[in-house]
Amino acid sequence: MQNNSKTIGQQGTLTAPDPAAPPVRTSTFHLRINGAEHAVTAPPTALLLTVLREQLQLTGTKLVCDRGECGACSVLLDGEPAYSCLTLAAACEGRDITTIEGLSANGELHPLQRAFIEYDALQCGFCTPGQILAGVALLERNPDPSEEEIVRWMSGNLCRCGTYPKIVRAVRAAASAMRGSSHGT
Amino acid sequence: MAREGTGSPRRPPKGTKTGARTTRTDGPKAGGTQPKKMRGRPGDRRPPQAARDEAANDARPRRFVSTRVDVEGREEITLVELPDFEPAPWGDDAQLAIVGTPARRADARAKVTGRARYTADLHRPGMLHAAIVRSSIPSGRIRRLDLAPALAIPGVRDAVTAGDVPPFKVRNFHPFEDVVRYVGQPVAVVCAETLELAYRARDAVVVEYEPTPHALTAQAALAPDAPRVRDEGNLAEGEPRVAVRGDVDRGLADAEVVIERTFRTPVALQSALEPHDALAEWNGEQLTVWESTQGIFNTRSDLAGAFGLPLSRVRVMQEFMGGGFGAKNGASTNAYVAVTLARRTGRPVRCVNDREGEQLDSGNRPATVQRVTLGAKRDGTLTAIVLDADIPLGVAGWIGGPGKIYHELYRCPNVRTTQRFVYTNAGAMSSFRAPGHVEGAFGLERAMDVLARELGMDPLELRLKNYAPRDQEKSRSYSSKRLDECYREGAKRFGWGKARKEKGERRKATDGTARGVGMASQVWGGGGGPPAYATVRLNPDGTAEVLTGSQDLGTGSRTIFAQIAAEALGARLEDVHVVIGDTERTPYTGNSWGSITTASVGPAVRMAAEDAKAHLLEAAAELLGSAPHALEVRDSVVRVRKGGKSLTFAEIGHALGDVMIMGRGSRGPNPDDSTLSTFCAQFAEVEVDLETGVVRVVRIVSAHDSGRIINPALAESQIQGGIIQGLGYALFEERVMDEALGIPLNANMHDYKIPTMSDIPVIEVLFVGGADTTANHTGAKGCAEPPIIPTAPAIANAVADAIGAEVNEIPLTPWRVAESERGERRKERV
Repeated sequence: MQNNSKTIGQQGTLTAPDPAAPPVRTSTFHLRINGAEHAVTAPPTALLLTVLREQLQLTGTKLVCDRGECGACSVLLDGEPAYSCLTLAAACEGRDITTIEGLSANGELHPLQRAFIEYDALQCGFCTPGQILAGVALLERNPDPSEEEIVRWMSGNLCRCGTYPKIVRAVRAAASAMRGSSHGT
Repeated sequence: MAREGTGSPRRPPKGTKTGARTTRTDGPKAGGTQPKKMRGRPGDRRPPQAARDEAANDARPRRFVSTRVDVEGREEITLVELPDFEPAPWGDDAQLAIVGTPARRADARAKVTGRARYTADLHRPGMLHAAIVRSSIPSGRIRRLDLAPALAIPGVRDAVTAGDVPPFKVRNFHPFEDVVRYVGQPVAVVCAETLELAYRARDAVVVEYEPTPHALTAQAALAPDAPRVRDEGNLAEGEPRVAVRGDVDRGLADAEVVIERTFRTPVALQSALEPHDALAEWNGEQLTVWESTQGIFNTRSDLAGAFGLPLSRVRVMQEFMGGGFGAKNGASTNAYVAVTLARRTGRPVRCVNDREGEQLDSGNRPATVQRVTLGAKRDGTLTAIVLDADIPLGVAGWIGGPGKIYHELYRCPNVRTTQRFVYTNAGAMSSFRAPGHVEGAFGLERAMDVLARELGMDPLELRLKNYAPRDQEKSRSYSSKRLDECYREGAKRFGWGKARKEKGERRKATDGTARGVGMASQVWGGGGGPPAYATVRLNPDGTAEVLTGSQDLGTGSRTIFAQIAAEALGARLEDVHVVIGDTERTPYTGNSWGSITTASVGPAVRMAAEDAKAHLLEAAAELLGSAPHALEVRDSVVRVRKGGKSLTFAEIGHALGDVMIMGRGSRGPNPDDSTLSTFCAQFAEVEVDLETGVVRVVRIVSAHDSGRIINPALAESQIQGGIIQGLGYALFEERVMDEALGIPLNANMHDYKIPTMSDIPVIEVLFVGGADTTANHTGAKGCAEPPIIPTAPAIANAVADAIGAEVNEIPLTPWRVAESERGERRKERV
């Protein structure tokens, strides 16, 4: 079945020394992802999406359109949503990167994750991490968004299963739950 | 699977009683006429001696019979094994605690935390990345293909082209030839240590073409001097497909009103967010493939066949799938090339389509041109339905067009459909959510609206007037048809009568917009059928596992199976774990297509759970000093009905130690004397900006008869999703080709417009049907495809109503809508 990510990281092909390879111009930089520091060795052209998925096995961040059209690769950079497929990894040094895996790092789900489950705001689930991170970013800046504001904010996140009506409901419900709880955000 | 190998205690055969219920007297080919065939009851399995005795007896029940299964609009005859027993049907009055509740999606937590690993997310030690080199021209001969520059890049491990891969076919076409027939056709594949290197290598492969003329449309491909898209000719099957009922000439002669219109529908792309992808790994002679597929067993047999392997050495797996809308029905090009490269390099190889490759070469809903003639009496009674259609398939595909729904939806003695399926120089078609019916419903349901207008009739009244209570094609009844209720209940919820009356006032809106209402309806299969198998195992800790070789495309099948199993077993839902998506761990189940999964697999899961429960009760009876029939089971606890003694599943499991309680279930045959179908009626309200032609869908009400709904929350999600895809088809979605160059211009997610959150109307979903226990003993039918079928015509009918002009070509782009409206005003002036 699916293998342990640590094992893959050690035996993986990206970091494996290859005698036939020419000197690759890579540099080592540090990324703070979900609160943990990672030393990453990659070429300056490496995209944040590629580093997350292929080097760090943080595959909750999805590759779909590869050109900033669908939102499936969304992550938070210092709390702001960003397309990781259009972001150079090396440019993220010193910034706080949050991926979907970091949203419930201590095992406790974010209110929006709970709302997605409760309102069945997902089908195949491939766009879900991006949808949730976009929603989290919205709720950070606007704790009480109107339906119109939700729709406008989230229209950059495509869902082919057509789960949109339930995503809107989930965001509204999470907003309400977060306002209601003293330690919401 | 050995029938006597479950290790559970057995009773002697029930003898005459069971035999009398199952003895068959009809001929060997009749396939039987009894709607319910069964061989016994839970626990009634025959010991080997009894089976041998029966074999000597001519009157013994047959184990295998033929049955009909409707798959994506095609009816297939299949030989099916009769189940050992068939559980009593869950009728409308059945007391069910878990089935019918909006239970949460079983895999939701994995999906919201990013832990769900899809094929594209999997890494294997030493894995290489493959990238496909695709043709950049629509038609030509490859003069030179040089892999050397790619192989010279450090880190590139292998490259293959025609001759290196087995002669597999995908969508009935083998792409690796020295001739290219469409833009996007795979011509070579490279693999490298990283994805970036693979892309660099892909771009380094040198391909020189000698271009030849291409044909993109049916008209161009059928012209006398047309270039040959396929060597066997451009008209598939060499002739049009004609299907006739009655005599349309007489029907048209009898008609008092005749309308004739031409309708056009676009090529639509599935655009699943997870593209086609596969990962292949060899361990000695054992092949393991992970693939984003709608059918793990189909994929396994495809791969075993292509590589000459025994099925037992091929394992296909898929835990999660990022969408499947019909184009992932077997092994993909990605799988074949990944297996090839993995064998050559001795390393695991993953091949994921990039987005452009996916949009160019993963199947599509083909375009249609439908010339429709309807004849009717003044009172609206249809006398003739005639369709003449061209369907450009692309380079290949299967023969299934818009025609079928013209024969099915309305009562009419005279129907003729003529369909020309034409090969063209574009990516091959494949199934796309209700293939054929979506296209056909647009033509037929728009034509019905045109006819209603001609007759001065309410479109809903015209449909009720021509209601077809029976399946006219097969001259038999439906197992259940509540489309009339769908019409009535949908209209009531929508406020159809009121909305139509108010139209005059809406039209006077001073802001330059006009509102309109429209409706359409649908018939589709979704009754499912055999074969499908399931096993239910009880663990010593009281948890249960359901094993079945199905897959969850995002529909929620995993959750549905858990609910059915928990209900039948008397277990708590949280105690039931469903294992799907692995050919090695699970018994066979077919593809997830044709809206059949719930109705095909659900009964097998239920039977397996009932079988396990029968064994469990026997064990519990022994432990409780009672009799199985005196026990009841609920919430994972077995109780003596009178007396109150009870044992939890875990306590029973503990007492049994390693004795295994296991149930086996299979899907029984369908009734021979009825058609299993699903139905819905949809109502749409739109607002049109008369200046710009921009259409906004305001609300949609969709009323469905899909039998019993196992989980109303998941069913609602799926129906909303189908409607939203249908809305995209109506308003935005269209593969745009440069006709001179033969190149698709919008093979990405930006220029190929799928609906976004801001395009979504208020959607109300109603379920009007009840349990259809003639169809199967769970009473459930499918609801994946029904919702997308009537959406585009309902919206187009509403737009026509709003602007007072016909709109007979989709997508309804602002330009098309504005032109239609202006054309109508010009007509009014002259």
